[in-house]
Amino acid sequence: MAQNEISKEEILAVYPKVAETMADALGCDVEEVKLDVSLIEGLDAESIDFLDMVFRLERAFKIKIPRGKIVENARGDLPEAEFEQKGIVTEKGLAQLKSYLSEIPAERFKTPMKVADIPRLFTPETFCKLVIMAQRDAQVAQGT
Amino acid sequence: MMDSGLSGKVAIVTGGSRGIGRAIVELLADEGAAVTFFYRDNAQAAAGVVAAGAEGGRAIGAEQVDVCDAKACADAVERAAARTKRTDTRGTNAGAIRDNQLAALADDDIRAVLDTNIGGVFNMTRAVIPHMIVQRSGKIINLSSVSADKGGRGQTNYAASKGAINAFTRSLAVELAPRKITVNAVAPGVIETEMSQDVRDLAGEQVKSRILLRRYGKPEEVAYAVWFLASRYADYVTGQVVAVDGGFKME
Repeated sequence: MAQNEISKEEILAVYPKVAETMADALGCDVEEVKLDVSLIEGLDAESIDFLDMVFRLERAFKIKIPRGKIVENARGDLPEAEFEQKGIVTEKGLAQLKSYLSEIPAERFKTPMKVADIPRLFTPETFCKLVIMAQRDAQVAQGT
Repeated sequence: MMDSGLSGKVAIVTGGSRGIGRAIVELLADEGAAVTFFYRDNAQAAAGVVAAGAEGGRAIGAEQVDVCDAKACADAVERAAARTKRTDTRGTNAGAIRDNQLAALADDDIRAVLDTNIGGVFNMTRAVIPHMIVQRSGKIINLSSVSADKGGRGQTNYAASKGAINAFTRSLAVELAPRKITVNAVAPGVIETEMSQDVRDLAGEQVKSRILLRRYGKPEEVAYAVWFLASRYADYVTGQVVAVDGGFKME
């Protein structure tokens, strides 16, 4: 499996705890945290809520999530200059983003896509992936 | 009987071994808060504060941390949080002063003052807010100075750092309001501390002539303002700079 490929089983394994943690951060019912709901448009998440979610996920899963990690994961090996230019995601970048955020329906990716608007795409599944990637990073760091 | 709501709360104070910081540490501990203070190099003074606290039955702990070191701040806050499981109040008091006319300031005089006074505020605040955001409460109190607003010869570095603290305080108040975290500053005038000794020795009468109350302040008089902002009585106060300066006049 490629380094940033994640199976549905892995996602479903972390999802219940992620959903519970996100519901705490957003002050909503856990049932509302569906795997594919848009956090900003569907659950009214604001920028501070994203920080809150990350801090809580770090605690709940005992992981470290560097700020900006989702976009960094999505960008993969693509150099930053090829991913975005003047705040707009390039064509190459958009392809990379669509591939990493494969759970998000194609019609939600607007062109031109501003880097600042990328968080509008995020769903709980995005955060499940973030947790899984952070767990993998931690395993690599421990040499296991 | 007034209840400040500080009993059982957890407070971190930087620059707590001497002067205003020590007064803040002792007052918050008197109110029943569990206080950890950070000091940079005066281990003897720090040990004295801890020992005096223990004698008086107050919960005071100390840790050697240089606030200019972001990682050291983050690690120390994590240790303090792990001990106490929460962080309610954070007072950034650690301060440096190196007065001289701008043309005569060495690079290091500028850097050291900015790194400690405003860099330390950034480092400490960034370390504590994850805890406050998650618990949806917290009070951040920065120590500014009268010199942020009122010009004083030889104080460009110090005044710039304190003006930055006021701007920082107002911006962060906006950022953290959705989580009910308040951010305020206290701006002391000339207070009787070791740090202000040189100013008082060099220009004592001139300085006093600019103070309406015609005397210097005492460290505990600044601590009372910090206590108020840390207490539940200030739940509706955010983004403010409270002057405790005896009525300091512009030159």
